[in-house]
Order: sequence, then structure tokens, then C-alpha cells
Amino acid sequence: MSRAGRIGGVALRQVLLLLGITVAVFVLLRVVPGDAVDVMASEGDITVAQEDLLRRMLGLDIGWPGQLLAWGSDALMGDLGTSLRYGQPVSDMVWAALPVTLGLAAAGLAIGLALGVALALLAMLRPGLAALVDALNVWSIVMPTFCVGLAGILVFSVWLGWLPSLGHGLVPAAIIGLDIGGQIAKPLMEDLRETAEARFVTALRSRGVRRGALVWRHLLPNSLTAVLPLAGLIVAGLVGGTLTMEVLFGLPGLGALLLDAILGRDYPVVQAAILVLSAAVIAANLATEAMQRALDPRVR
Amino acid sequence: MAGALSATPADRARGLGGWLAAWLGGWGQLGLAITVLAVAVALLGPALSPFDPLAPSGRRLQPPTAEHWLGLDALGRDVLSRLITGTQISIAVGIAATLLAFALGAGIGLLACAIGGPVAGLFLGAMDLLRTLPSILLALVLVAAIGTGTGPVTFALGLAFAPVFARVARAGYLREMGAGYVTAARGLGASRVRLVLVHAAPNLVGPLLTQAAIILPRVITKEAVLSFFGVGAAPEAPTWGRLIAEGTRFVERAPHLVLAPVLALAVVTLGLSLLGDATRRRLDPNRVAG
Repeated sequence: MSRAGRIGGVALRQVLLLLGITVAVFVLLRVVPGDAVDVMASEGDITVAQEDLLRRMLGLDIGWPGQLLAWGSDALMGDLGTSLRYGQPVSDMVWAALPVTLGLAAAGLAIGLALGVALALLAMLRPGLAALVDALNVWSIVMPTFCVGLAGILVFSVWLGWLPSLGHGLVPAAIIGLDIGGQIAKPLMEDLRETAEARFVTALRSRGVRRGALVWRHLLPNSLTAVLPLAGLIVAGLVGGTLTMEVLFGLPGLGALLLDAILGRDYPVVQAAILVLSAAVIAANLATEAMQRALDPRVR
Repeated sequence: MAGALSATPADRARGLGGWLAAWLGGWGQLGLAITVLAVAVALLGPALSPFDPLAPSGRRLQPPTAEHWLGLDALGRDVLSRLITGTQISIAVGIAATLLAFALGAGIGLLACAIGGPVAGLFLGAMDLLRTLPSILLALVLVAAIGTGTGPVTFALGLAFAPVFARVARAGYLREMGAGYVTAARGLGASRVRLVLVHAAPNLVGPLLTQAAIILPRVITKEAVLSFFGVGAAPEAPTWGRLIAEGTRFVERAPHLVLAPVLALAVVTLGLSLLGDATRRRLDPNRVAG
């Protein structure tokens, strides 16, 4: 099979996964008893007649296959429905939350990559720093970002009195970054050391290639292949960590939106948030897959 | 060369304790100590609690005193007693969910291997793809569907982590199928089911148990996150996550309400992770960290 064909096959499977998750979530949410109208009824006084009227207006009175068909055909046109609780178009809510989530995830990833690469390079040049890399690696294995985030809230907002960690994106991004940096620094450092001993490096050096060029153009691209197998784990950790940090630090992103919708049984919002988040994970995995193929000829 | 499990004369002289200490290494010993302590607290539970964890026993939000070592919460309940009960429930939920994930994942993985064919392959492929999603997202989806409470959360976490075990089972199965003794068994006419149950399964116990040791602290953390989110354990089950959630509302006035359960969660997760990691390093030194 051709290279493009194989990437296409991977993409097809991932799209099928997305489709499967979407349908599974849709069905799961509707076969369980209790809907958004029940939640509204428990929060305020509405009569049984009003409940029935609400259900008809919201399209909750037909069975789930009918609802799935209606939702699916609308979703294909880019219409994700209307929030049952807020009456707003779901796509507007998702668009409003998306930048927060993407910003936090991008900042966390950037900090993590910069930290991991910098530490690995420094530890290659100064072997004494290997202990620091090892310590950070153990840290990221044993310390959940949830605990670090709570400790961050206690330290920065309660004791230091620095303006409320609530709504501030830098601390959560740094916590996510520390986790990712710890995961990649160690394998990267080990591979860099190994690659530095390779014969092609000796050959390049003897031809007078300068150290900076050697590291950035030859060593690093080669050693990135040691980190790429971790990419799936990092993407999952990044998205999971971002969701947790959003709720913990009160950032109005997709994670906060999803949780609020789950608590209020706001099906269309739950559905859309899960769709967008799963699509993001799947897109990131496809991107790393493509990158791995581009960087490492052995995978092709 | 001496293998990881063979004892040298020096090891024998130090006895089983010394051998275990050497086998685990420094970090692993710390992990074991914390784990033993946490399990002891969980098992003794109510016997250790100085007060009723669910009934008020003093002034609201009282800071730590000689009588109430960790102070009182917003309803005047003893925080230490709640923390001890929380340790019991958090660890019980963690172990139950891990066992469920183990049984489901390994069972489904081996069943699919035993049946074989395109349908089983498709199913295993789907499990493998599910594994790429963040476990907290999967758990949230399941909780959204089956509802909140201690039981549902245990179930949701068990399902969310099952694909990991299915993958380990399948990878182990494929590895064993390449071994010479399996070819010999096949040549003698062993059936596919026999190959899976008699030949592959016993060799999978080690990798699966290692995976369980790695997963357990993550499951405990995820339960805390879900309970903190308000979609986890029931109100009458003061797990660490619930204690943290209740505490954050008064974090300015009474930081000890958050600090105590966060420290408990962090220390126990640390201990379990160190123990799991030491086990993994010993049993599977070639695998990449993760």
C-alpha cells in the first residue's frame, strides 16, 4: 500500500472512532432516565403540562433514533442545536469556549516542549544535570496535575495573596508544562547522549560542522524520534490536564462547559463538547502520526 | 548473567526482607512503606477515627486543636475522622475500579484473541483507539450517561481504564504466539482456545499485574477529580475528592480543609506510583517510561 494510502487508512479509522463515540454518547445520554426538563423541574416550579410542552418544544418527546437523525443532519450543516438550559446556539457556546481551551493547551504544550528540550540539551552538555532530569521525570510520573493545581491555588492565592489564581492562565499552563517537560526530558536526554556517540556525528565533526549546527540540525531532529512514541500519551495527558485545570482555576473553556452541561443534563452541549474534544485528540494523534512518518524513515 | 529474580548468597544472608528491599530500590521501598501505611489506615478505618465522620462534634470551621488534630469542617465535623473514612472509601473505590478494568479488559482482550477473525480484530482495534482518548474524558462521558454516586463512578472508571488492559493482554498474546513452545503446541493440534487459556494466559499474569499497579494510583486520582467536579462519590461518602471540593469553598478562611485531603491524596498517589514504577522497572526494564 502507498504511504498516502496508509495515512488515509489511519485517518479513516480515527474518523470512524469519532463517529462511534458520537453515536454512543447520543444513545447513552438518552436511554438513561431523567432529562433536562427533570432538572429544570427540580430547580423551579413547573406544572406537568408545562413539562410536556417543554419536552415537545425541545424535541425530547420522540425516541432517540429520531432525535439522532435530526441532530446528525443538523450537525452536518454545522448546526449543533440549542442549549436546553440557556437557549443559546450550542455552536456559539463552543466557539466562545474553544479559544480558552486551545490557548491553555497550546501554552502548556509550548512550556512543556521548551522545558523538556532545554533540560535534555543542558543535561547532554553538563552530565551533572541528569539528576535534575531524573527527578523531574519521577515527579511527572508520581504527581497528579490535579494535586499540583490545588497546591498552586493554596500557595499563590491563599498564602501569597497574589491575585486570584482564579481566571489566571499562567499557573495552570505552567503546571501542565512541568508535567509534559518531565515526561519528555528523560527519553530525549538519553537518546541525545546515544546519538552523540554515533559515527555520523564524528564524521560531521571531523568535517568541521560547528557545535550549534550539529546540535540543532543533526542531533535534535534525530533524537525527536525517541519522543514521538510518547506523543499519544502526551496528547491524552494534555487534554485531560487542560480539562482539569479549567475547572480547578475557573477558566471558561470546553472542560468547564462540558462539566456544567453534564451536571445540568444539557444534552446538546454535552454532545458538542465531547465531539469537539474527541476531534481535537484525534486530530493531534493524526498529526503526530504524520510527523513520525516524516521524521523516521523506519516507520514508513 | 544473574537475572533480576535470582538471589545471590549475599541476598540469602539478608533474608526475604533484605531481598525485597534490594529488589525494590530506594524509591520503591518508600512507595511500599507509604502503601502499607495507607492500606493499614483503610483497613482499620473506623477503629482509628476519634469522632463520627458524618455528625458534627464542635464549632464550625474550627482550626486544628489538641482534641481535633485537623480541625472541623463547615458543618462542624471532625476532619481527621472524615479523612480516615475518605482514605477507606477512596482506596476501596480505586481497587474495585482497577479490578473491574483488569477483569473486563483482560477478559475481553483474551476472548477476542481466542475467537479471532475480523470481528474480534475490529473490536480490539476499537478498544485500542478508545485508549488514545484521555481517561478523564471517557469517565466523564460514562458518568454523564449512568449518573453520579459512588457505585456509578467505580463502574465508569473501571470501563474507562479497561482498554489499557485489553491492549496489554493482546500484546502479550501476540508475543507468546511467536514463541517456540506455542508452535510446538500448535503442531500437536492444540485448539485456539487452548492456546489462549493454557499457554498465553499464565504468561500474561505478570504484565497485567504490573499494569494494575501502574493504573491504581491513576484511578484513585481520577476518582478524586470526578468527586471534586461534583459528579463522583455520593455526599455520604467523604472521599478525598469530595473533601477537597467541600474545602475549596472555604479555602480563604480554613485552608486546612483543602490541605489535609490534598496531602493525603498526593502522598498515597506518590507511594502507589513509586511502588508501581519500581515493579515495572524490575519486571520490564526495556519499556519506555509511561
